[in-house]
Amino acid sequence: MKRILSGVLASAMLLALCACGGGKTPAETAPGTDAPETPAEASTELNIYMWQQYISDELIADFESQNNCTVNLSYMSDNADAITKLTAGGGQEYDLIMTCDAYMESLIAGGYVEELDMSQVPNASNINSAYWSSPKHSIPYLGNYIYVVYNKETCPIEITCYNDLLDPSLKGQISTIDGARNLFPIALIALGYDPNSTVESEIAEAYEWLVKFNENVVAYGAAEQNLTNGTASVALTYDGNASWAMAEMGEENPLVVAPFTDDAVQLGFDMYVMPTGAKHTDLAYKFLDYICTPEVMAKNLEEFPYFCPNDAAVAAAPESYRNDPAKDFDYKENVFFQEDVGDALTIYNDYYQKLKVGQ
Amino acid sequence: MANLTKVQRRRKTLGVLGDLYAILIYTVLYIPVVVMMIFSFNDQRYNYYWSGFTTQWYGKLFGNHALMDSLWYSIVIAVLATVISVVVGTLGALGLKRYEFRMKKFINGMIFIPIIVPEIVLAVALLIIFMNVGFALGMGSILIGHCTFCIPYAVVTIKGRISGDGNTLEEASMDLGANRIQTFCRVTLPSIMPGVMSAAFLSFTLSIDDVVMSNMLSGAKNTTLPVLILSMNKSGVTPDVNALTTIMILVIVACMLLSNAVKAALRKRSQAA
Repeated sequence: MKRILSGVLASAMLLALCACGGGKTPAETAPGTDAPETPAEASTELNIYMWQQYISDELIADFESQNNCTVNLSYMSDNADAITKLTAGGGQEYDLIMTCDAYMESLIAGGYVEELDMSQVPNASNINSAYWSSPKHSIPYLGNYIYVVYNKETCPIEITCYNDLLDPSLKGQISTIDGARNLFPIALIALGYDPNSTVESEIAEAYEWLVKFNENVVAYGAAEQNLTNGTASVALTYDGNASWAMAEMGEENPLVVAPFTDDAVQLGFDMYVMPTGAKHTDLAYKFLDYICTPEVMAKNLEEFPYFCPNDAAVAAAPESYRNDPAKDFDYKENVFFQEDVGDALTIYNDYYQKLKVGQ
Repeated sequence: MANLTKVQRRRKTLGVLGDLYAILIYTVLYIPVVVMMIFSFNDQRYNYYWSGFTTQWYGKLFGNHALMDSLWYSIVIAVLATVISVVVGTLGALGLKRYEFRMKKFINGMIFIPIIVPEIVLAVALLIIFMNVGFALGMGSILIGHCTFCIPYAVVTIKGRISGDGNTLEEASMDLGANRIQTFCRVTLPSIMPGVMSAAFLSFTLSIDDVVMSNMLSGAKNTTLPVLILSMNKSGVTPDVNALTTIMILVIVACMLLSNAVKAALRKRSQAA
């Protein structure tokens, strides 16, 4: 008797788990799998996975009322997390996902994203093709320069190249962005290599460079905070964040974009892709066309002053955007893009972890 | 006499040292919380630096639908995960402690696997399973995810509370004519109640705090509060999040005081009786 009961009790929790896992499946699957690829009638909801604080609420509300639909925005905390979710099969939950250049090649090769039907996005013609790295599979949204900004009152030196960031007088002064694929290219350029190098010895050298750089770093992330509250006098950050920090400093803004002479700066784009198996493609296309409309994007730029690949929208943007001090630098064309480095990514990640753990 | 004062003096020094130690530990624990609370009154859009006192965030908080929705979502999931974990955990703990069966040691050891395995690994594995069987992501998937780590903690906590000689009481109860269910409700459960309660608190805390599992398993429509706060990290966390957290802390402190008051009242009553 006891023995039977024991078996029942002990397996109860294991069974409960299995029951939870399997129980709901049939009911939940039905609506999902039955939904046809191209719905006969217009969809009423659109699911987008993107960065938080990156699109105007007003713009979304207008789109909702124009198309009589609900837009569900969910937010990623990290690009790599989003890619993990997408490649594990979670992409079919969304209609549009935001990703960046560095992942595009792998995503296309793996069949994780749909090829876009550009005839449904007529306004995409406003996008400058120079900035459009995967024109069949993505619509670039906004871009970010990763450059150096410093406070001309508190920073002890003038910074004109990446190697200046290793200057001992900057100890504990730098606030920097994070991420293997953001930091290593800078070191590679400083050393005179290809920023998307796949050669291990070069990456190892870049690691050594970053170890020295690390000694001067006071904080990773939150550059605008650290610049405005005085924690850091130099920041390696995105132009949008620099713009906010400069606006925050007001009239007497002491922050300037570092006058780089030779070194290229990184320009990265956040782009929308349509995950394979997206259910509300009709609305997704409408949305893509909507954000490519010059007036709509121009309004968005007022709130989110990032670099915009949509030339017509920039022309329509307000003075404040076009005269932004964060965009006042003369090496806009001297840029490099993050490319998919394939298997070398593990080399980067290994060295990056070493850098983070400190040995 | 001289000896006595020496002992007294030593005691006094030790007492002061003990106080200092306590102050040091509590300072380390609570300074971040205090700073967080102070910044909920910061008169600025983002918490970059202190610029002035305002209470506006407490008002705006209730207008922030994203924040309130995700808080509600988190609470519902945490309550459900707690109930499931406690029920399954109690049954499992009793079964694993009281009864002898083959592979008992092995199963006992296996309980720790979900605790030890990095959460992200479990989360991705669950995501792959859900996607392959066509289980839509949402509250259900997050709940199952949370249960996978709450249940083992509940089992371990409750198991520690079950005394080895508890069988005597149960046998006595059944000798006196109670059936198994009556015995469970009247004898077994009350004796392990403190364990069940701490398992419940632990499960609730683990669930409402969780980021990794929720981040991977959340669907397109809703997400939990910690995931939303983490995603704000890119642009900066706004003071209304601080305001919300401050309110949550005050509620928890109030609950603790209330539960202590109720306990004290009950003790008084039982002593009087």
